[in-house]
Amino acid sequence: MTRNYGALETKRFLVTPETKDFPRNNYGMATARGNNGSGQRPNNTTQNRICQFKLVLLGESAVGKSSLVLRFVKGQFHEYQESTIGAAFLTQTLCIDDTTVKFEIWDTAGQERYHSLAPMYYRGAQAAIVVYDIQNQDSFERAKNWVKELQRQATPNIVIALAGNKADLSQSRVVEHDEAKQYAEENGLLFLETSAKTAMNVNDIFLAIAKKLPKVEGNNGNVHGRRLNENEPNRQMNNCCK
Amino acid sequence: MSPSVSLISSKFAASIFYAKSHQGETCGSNGLPLTLNSIAVFGRAQSMKALKHPNLCQYLDFIRSKHERMIVVSEYHGTTLEEKFHMIKNNQQNILRIFHQIASALTFLDEKDLIVHNLEPKHILLDELNNVKIFNYGLFNMTNCGEYVSFPIGNLCYFSPERILGSTKNIKSDVWSLGIMMTELFLDFKFCDNWKLSNTMRKILSFQGCENVLQKIASEFDRTNEYEKLPKDIRNLLEKCLTVSLKDRLLPEEIIDHEAFRENLEFHLYTNPPKNKESLLNLPLDQIYHLWMLAGGDVHAELKKERLIRCEPPILLTPNVVTLDGKALGAKKSQSYLYDDRIAILSLSNLKERLKKISPLRYFPLIHTPSCPYNYNNGMEKLPLVIRERDTEYQFHRILLFDRMLKGYPSTRDMIVKEAQTDIPPFLRGKIWAAILDVIPNGSYTGIDKVTPTQTDRQIEVDVPRCHQYDEYLSSPDGHRKLKRLLKAWVTAHPQYVYWQGLDSLTAPFLYLNFNDEELAFLSLYKFVPKYLQWFFLKDNSAVIKEYLSKFAQLTAYHEPVLSTHLVGINFIPELFAIPWFLTMFSHVFPLHKILHLWDKLMLGDNSYPLFIGISILKQLRPTLLSSGFNECILLFSDLPDIVMENCVVQSQEMYETTPKSLSHREHISREEKAGEWDISDLTLDQIQSELCPRISANDFVDLLRYSPERLCPVDLRGALEFSRLYIEGSINIPFTSVSLSEKNLESLGIPDLNKILEERIIVVYSNLHENCILFSKFLVECGVPRVCVLHKGFDILHTIVPNILLSK
Repeated sequence: MTRNYGALETKRFLVTPETKDFPRNNYGMATARGNNGSGQRPNNTTQNRICQFKLVLLGESAVGKSSLVLRFVKGQFHEYQESTIGAAFLTQTLCIDDTTVKFEIWDTAGQERYHSLAPMYYRGAQAAIVVYDIQNQDSFERAKNWVKELQRQATPNIVIALAGNKADLSQSRVVEHDEAKQYAEENGLLFLETSAKTAMNVNDIFLAIAKKLPKVEGNNGNVHGRRLNENEPNRQMNNCCK
Repeated sequence: MSPSVSLISSKFAASIFYAKSHQGETCGSNGLPLTLNSIAVFGRAQSMKALKHPNLCQYLDFIRSKHERMIVVSEYHGTTLEEKFHMIKNNQQNILRIFHQIASALTFLDEKDLIVHNLEPKHILLDELNNVKIFNYGLFNMTNCGEYVSFPIGNLCYFSPERILGSTKNIKSDVWSLGIMMTELFLDFKFCDNWKLSNTMRKILSFQGCENVLQKIASEFDRTNEYEKLPKDIRNLLEKCLTVSLKDRLLPEEIIDHEAFRENLEFHLYTNPPKNKESLLNLPLDQIYHLWMLAGGDVHAELKKERLIRCEPPILLTPNVVTLDGKALGAKKSQSYLYDDRIAILSLSNLKERLKKISPLRYFPLIHTPSCPYNYNNGMEKLPLVIRERDTEYQFHRILLFDRMLKGYPSTRDMIVKEAQTDIPPFLRGKIWAAILDVIPNGSYTGIDKVTPTQTDRQIEVDVPRCHQYDEYLSSPDGHRKLKRLLKAWVTAHPQYVYWQGLDSLTAPFLYLNFNDEELAFLSLYKFVPKYLQWFFLKDNSAVIKEYLSKFAQLTAYHEPVLSTHLVGINFIPELFAIPWFLTMFSHVFPLHKILHLWDKLMLGDNSYPLFIGISILKQLRPTLLSSGFNECILLFSDLPDIVMENCVVQSQEMYETTPKSLSHREHISREEKAGEWDISDLTLDQIQSELCPRISANDFVDLLRYSPERLCPVDLRGALEFSRLYIEGSINIPFTSVSLSEKNLESLGIPDLNKILEERIIVVYSNLHENCILFSKFLVECGVPRVCVLHKGFDILHTIVPNILLSK
């Protein structure tokens, strides 16, 4: 209920100790590279490969985009998560086998009016999560439109996941699981019903995306996050060529 | 039970009740947690503060505390009718007077659609002159007809038959209670006193079907003699208050008009008590209460002292079984959750002590008499704002001063603005803001359609429950309703604009400050938007926002060249972080208490002020930003860390005052005058976006040259020959053709002590070729030189200045 501004400051980076509160070990969720990355390395054999991916969240407003990210990145859930204006940016790292995958997540505003800003965020993204609310048919239709737009205008081969959020409220479900699943299959999307509130499938959906993304040693710099300038050419990330 | 009159030196009392706590399931069907009942009460109760009537105790404060405890602070003055019963009962004139005054309070409440439902002698206070003040009359309303509490409201003895049968929400039930109370006085007895509840209930229900309840009561309680002695008109009045049929029972306003009161009408009315000798006590009650709190008043402590708040050992309340859905079984029911009608009197002695040295004259600041200083700040204005806001005497002076000026508004507007530059007392902030914004309430808000469904409804519907929900006002159901109404009204009133997410946050501070005055909140917003956010809410606002953000980038380069160069270098553009800042004037990024202080200053500046707030935020985060890459920078802004508002305000004020106005020129503002030849006009977005440094107008340049040449350093990029023919006094000639810009180093220009020359000055670059100016000014910024700008329309414009400012050698 209370919004604790001061406290958030220290939680900004994904290396903070509070991440341990969150049952993320199943996925070997790593802290930052170099820090204790060696501990994540199986059998201490090879150096971790590090891949960075830009991921964007899209969907109707109040379907829970920010909540999904907050759950994934900080293991928290705010009942009264404020609306997002423009976009918010967060990062999170996870480990798959011997690869460290770092997500640079752009969480966008949901209101239709902010649509014109969206290309700035999905341009150059290797992955997208399109979110809808299982209690709201309109949000599902809106999700379909986002998928179409991404397929038409975003990076070719972008990995798109469809998330039916607020699955904890299935008693007031409107969008059937099978309907969404079928749509996802027809369009080659990953699909999971998620609940940011109960954490159900939240890590799984990011993990599924990470698995599906082509992984090749990326450079360690933080150059990728920058390519948001509209004037910049729409280059493909050069670390995705496997 | 209640303190006797001699004990009362105070005018305030606090009482407590507990809101019902939600059992088990704590989430509603929308997945959001159920609003706590105490918050719902809190929101509903606010409107009670606005009720002012001589026969009603004024509500002053509602405080939520642990375990759904609600503390109500209200006026409390006089002795209860219960205690004074024996002094009053033999005086028919006095009884009639009390009768009349209660009825007039009920009439007032009825006009507001409010019902009391707990009228009883304990809640009727009588002052020294036997004026009535009804106490605790809002409980039924603030608990939403008792829905938010687990205890029944009211004293059964005074219940009407229909209320016992479950019908509520009718003011005529209060008329019955009044009738019973007055019958007790006239006939000198106590109705059902100390009876078992079931017996009382049976007795009241037995009146059903009875023609003359009064007579029946008189005979059953052995009061026939007294009954017969009653004058006819009084008997008639009581009978009409005590009819079982609601149709025949009088309305409060009919009571006032009853013939029993015709004679001696003046006598029945409220008589103003004589002015108190202590000036403090003549102030409005809400002001006294505010000062009382500043003087260290602690309602909680007073309640503890009076043992109204008791701590029960938690071990005694442990349940035996807790089911999986959270329901607790077998716990002993805590006594404290029952209704407790005791009160704690809040002593004013601390406050009196604090203010005793203040001379009576200071209660009446003379704002129009120059010979009488009205400012008693005693140098306080130099202390930090937090200290000033908590200083009893300082706030006392400020409140009285502003209160007086507000009474003279709008003709005193300029004085209000001038005083607001020092600071704004929190107690009057909403009204002062409205005055600064030139708001004049005219009732237009009532006429705006806030009901008809529109396409925006769903968006508002999902945004309101997420808007500043840590706040008790805004998270209450009443707060939600009000915010929705305000937003809908704003959208309806502006057909040219649309609802953009963020407008909710922008509205929140106005609602927070004017929770009981929606019109003032609405009009403040109505005036605020064109002043600071002209055209931001157009359906297509991209040109407006792009221009704004480009200007922000330019002014950042002007004030913080090193930081700007770094941010440009990592491509950290304002589009990625500053849209919520400016679209909501920071109300989406800061908590309310910070916004209030920020806006206190913002209100006094023009449309460029917010740009400087933005820069001062960057300034504060400068060390972190400079040492960070793109990701760290953007993460920093995703969760804006603690910004010290006071520094932020001081810095933005300083930049605002020292930056020539034309530097923050934007096309997209509402302009009263057309731009002249020597102003900036007709800049395209492309131009602004492609230039790192802001332009300065010829007007501002000439002003600097004439009135503060020590602040100015003109840099002339033309060739040396041209320069020798015509030049500006004090200018440096750096022929553009002679410089190499590849080396980002001032020394490469070969001018001795250039660093020193540029220090503390506004550097205005001009030439015949604008392109050269753009390149050179960018070079200066990259060398870390602050305050660089480019003369709009170049050297040529200087030829046209009259009187001539050009010199020749």
